[in-house]
Amino acid sequence: MSTSASVQSVSRSGSAFARRLAGSPALRLSGRRLLSAIPVLWGVTLLSFLMLNALPGDAASALLGINATPAEIRSFSIKLHLNEPLWTRYGHWLAGVLTGNLGTSLASPQSVASIIGQRLPVTLELVIYALIITFVVSVPLAVLCARWPRGVIDQSSLVLSMASISVAPYVLGLFLVILFAVHWSIFPAIGYTSLGASVAGNLHTMTLPSIVLAIPLIGFYTRFLRADLVEQMQSEDYVVTARAKGVSEWRILTRHALRNSFIGLLTVIGLNLATLIGATVIVEEIFSLPGIGFELLNAISNRDVPVVEGIVLVFGIAVVLANLATDLLYGVLDPRIRHVRARS
Amino acid sequence: MASATAAGDAAPPDVRLGPSPLLEVSDLRVTFHSRAGNVYAVQGISFSIEPGQTLAIIGESGSGKTVSAQAMMAILPRTAHVTGSIRFNGEEMVGRSERELRDYRGRCVAMVFQNPERSLNPTMRVGSQIAEAITTHLPLDRKQAHERAIELLRMVRIPAPERRFYEYPHQLSGGMRQRVVIAIALACGPAVLIADEATTALDVTTQAQIMDLLLDLQEETGTALLMISHDLGLAASYAEDVIVMYAGKVVERAPTKELFAGVRMPYTQALLDAIPRIDTQPHVLLPVIGGRPPDLSVIPAGCPFAPRCPEVQQDCRDQAPPLKQHEPERWWACWHPYRKGAGQ
Amino acid sequence: MSVPAADLLTTAPAQDVLGGVGAGPRVRSRLRNLEIIVPGALLVVLLFFCFIWPLLYHIPSPTVADLFEVNRPLWSPGHILGTDAVGYDVMSRILYGGRVSFEVAAAVQAIGLVVGGLFGMIAAYRGGWTEAVLMRILDVFIAFPSLVLVLAIADSLGPSETHVIWALSAFSIPAFARVARAATLRLRDQPFIVAARLSGTRTWRILLQHLAPNLAPQLLTFSLLGASLTIILEGALDFLGYGVPPPTATWGNMIATGQSFISVYPQYVLVPSVFLVATSICLNMMGDGLRARWGVR
Repeated sequence: MSTSASVQSVSRSGSAFARRLAGSPALRLSGRRLLSAIPVLWGVTLLSFLMLNALPGDAASALLGINATPAEIRSFSIKLHLNEPLWTRYGHWLAGVLTGNLGTSLASPQSVASIIGQRLPVTLELVIYALIITFVVSVPLAVLCARWPRGVIDQSSLVLSMASISVAPYVLGLFLVILFAVHWSIFPAIGYTSLGASVAGNLHTMTLPSIVLAIPLIGFYTRFLRADLVEQMQSEDYVVTARAKGVSEWRILTRHALRNSFIGLLTVIGLNLATLIGATVIVEEIFSLPGIGFELLNAISNRDVPVVEGIVLVFGIAVVLANLATDLLYGVLDPRIRHVRARS
Repeated sequence: MASATAAGDAAPPDVRLGPSPLLEVSDLRVTFHSRAGNVYAVQGISFSIEPGQTLAIIGESGSGKTVSAQAMMAILPRTAHVTGSIRFNGEEMVGRSERELRDYRGRCVAMVFQNPERSLNPTMRVGSQIAEAITTHLPLDRKQAHERAIELLRMVRIPAPERRFYEYPHQLSGGMRQRVVIAIALACGPAVLIADEATTALDVTTQAQIMDLLLDLQEETGTALLMISHDLGLAASYAEDVIVMYAGKVVERAPTKELFAGVRMPYTQALLDAIPRIDTQPHVLLPVIGGRPPDLSVIPAGCPFAPRCPEVQQDCRDQAPPLKQHEPERWWACWHPYRKGAGQ
Repeated sequence: MSVPAADLLTTAPAQDVLGGVGAGPRVRSRLRNLEIIVPGALLVVLLFFCFIWPLLYHIPSPTVADLFEVNRPLWSPGHILGTDAVGYDVMSRILYGGRVSFEVAAAVQAIGLVVGGLFGMIAAYRGGWTEAVLMRILDVFIAFPSLVLVLAIADSLGPSETHVIWALSAFSIPAFARVARAATLRLRDQPFIVAARLSGTRTWRILLQHLAPNLAPQLLTFSLLGASLTIILEGALDFLGYGVPPPTATWGNMIATGQSFISVYPQYVLVPSVFLVATSICLNMMGDGLRARWGVR
């Protein structure tokens, strides 16, 4: 009932696009996926809760320092309900989450929601910026490699990709800092300017971290896309049809094969966004970016359970949303999915 | 290798029929080099096609018929080594640059492929795929190409062409898809249309429709039609002349009527026996050709069909019979051909 | 982090590295051999120097500093790779640090292979409820940012080599389970498995004697790629202060402490970085080469 009502109201508003989207099978499917994600998200919070509580240290002693007396620790614990049984605390937390309240940090009077609200944009920008760099470099490079498989470009890109996949980000980060920050002073070594404060300043501080995050991705996605393109060019019949039309190899690559290969690439990116978000932790640590990963490291060492829980939940939701976005984009890129689902 | 040259010496008889061949193939050889060894897919074939003619090349899988067609389209993979000559309007096409060949493909010679499920790009609208074939060769703008594409869709008898233009291949039935492939092939008015097993993947009713369409279009456009098929029955109903290939060689060539009046080559007879006929008793097993298809990685000293031939004699094993003109308009390669009326 | 590689590699097509036309087949196969032999030989040499060389020849202790020999440059007499700011012999720390890297990588991959492999095989083979539950648990681990998991475990268990191994196993077990499950699903309905099942072979016997040998090539190449990742991650934990605690020599520790001297003595970071990256490249190349050769996905 409610869905049909909303569809009607949308259609009355006159937006044909919104109407199509609301009735679209891709969205319905995504709704199902969203539902199936709930037990997974719940498992993620439970796992992190149990893990943090298994830590030998506790928040009280971690926050008060080693000079705190047992009495101080006890009163602090009572104030923060740390003395209550594990399941009671988890129940409280979960009840809070379900009513939209992520709780308050143990280390500061700030609410977890406001901490995440401050930190999340930094991490998101980092991830998006890195993905943009990756695409801008990987796609043309993969096309060049696939145009002449095992040619000079392909072979050198293979070596570079292998190196970029194998290089540890902390090593890469250090060396980029030496070159770009210390030697040439093009980018700052650490520090952060928010996008709101100054766009140029923001790009200035975010470029180097994004490159560090992007380089292994570039290596991997270039190889993946290249392999898929070569496979398409060698074994797909529609490529032969295009050749028989007299279409040039370049055009077949960029107009025919690339479109099809993007579908596979997208799936891989969607599947691995979780690990990418996890990877921001190290980059943020190296460049002292006040992102969510930086905060997470602090929270873990402070045993600040509500903050860790909140961040883990955000990570989990990000993964679910990424999969969802992949699904929707998939439908846009692959007409078969769009229509087959529409029929069923 | 020695036997290869021996076979070569025996080869190129001029099998042209009319005064002005449109497409002339002489002593065409295609060899695939691979780690496992060489595959001699086509071992010196010669024939020609006149304007408006309908010619069928018949053979089982591995006989080299599809490879020959791909050689004529110049769409063989780079692992293929082509020698001999393919002349279009007297101009040599073997050894041309990729750029020149692009101009030739689709405009001079076009091809309809076996599998309509796979020969269209799944992520492109069918209209764009036809329009691409047009704009590749003709100086038309988007709008003109669009109009011409719709005209072509109408020409291949697709109902509601304006709407179909915007559809994706998966939204069309197999027969419709094959019509689109035909429209693509005819986009630039080619002089020769190669139909490589164009109806094999379709059901019998659709098969007949597509064949009728091809013949109608041939009449309308005056293009020559080269049918490639494993189905001698199909050739019998549609082609004027038949070439039978076995193991990369032409073993018999004749006008269709004459061929059915009296087969000379035992292999052709075996193919003929394998056609189910209306007067065959029900529940009687159709004869099959015993033995295995030839191994194309070695060139046999004798007749390639000798191991499976019912009429085999010692001289067949010793020396390969050359393709020779034995009667007006009839060629065969056999030491012990059936005489007129025999072997039926 | 190059963390994505672990997951990505499981979906990468086998022909990734050495597919393609152009070069002649013989050239290609020779290249493929080289691609396995060269990194393999380099790794063997490195393993020899890390584990056997110190037994045969006396080298300076990695954790005893010589205060009179600080900041020696590369190629100094007695200290081939120089000494660091405290007076540790860099060469010796590289070799002992390499031990830690290889031990951790081997242990983590072995645990992942056995535990994760069994998990994945059982999930896929049993199907139904078992699979649903096991896969949901795996989903949780996948949705959970792996590095967070690893950090939390490393933190809760406290810094030590053994704990690093346990922490990183939490990362390798789900990865192996995914690969093993996918491969088992492909094999489950193959005639030879069905035949074994119909003839009354016990489940564990089918798993171990019929399925496991068929999964071996895929899991082994995967473990080489995983070992590369483990070495990088182990360094990351050291770097973040959650790994093997100093003064124990590890490549990650050397990079972390060398950071402070990076503008004056870049070699303190450079030397361990070169070893770390080179080892990782060798493992990746071998894994890729074997994968292409065995034709596994």
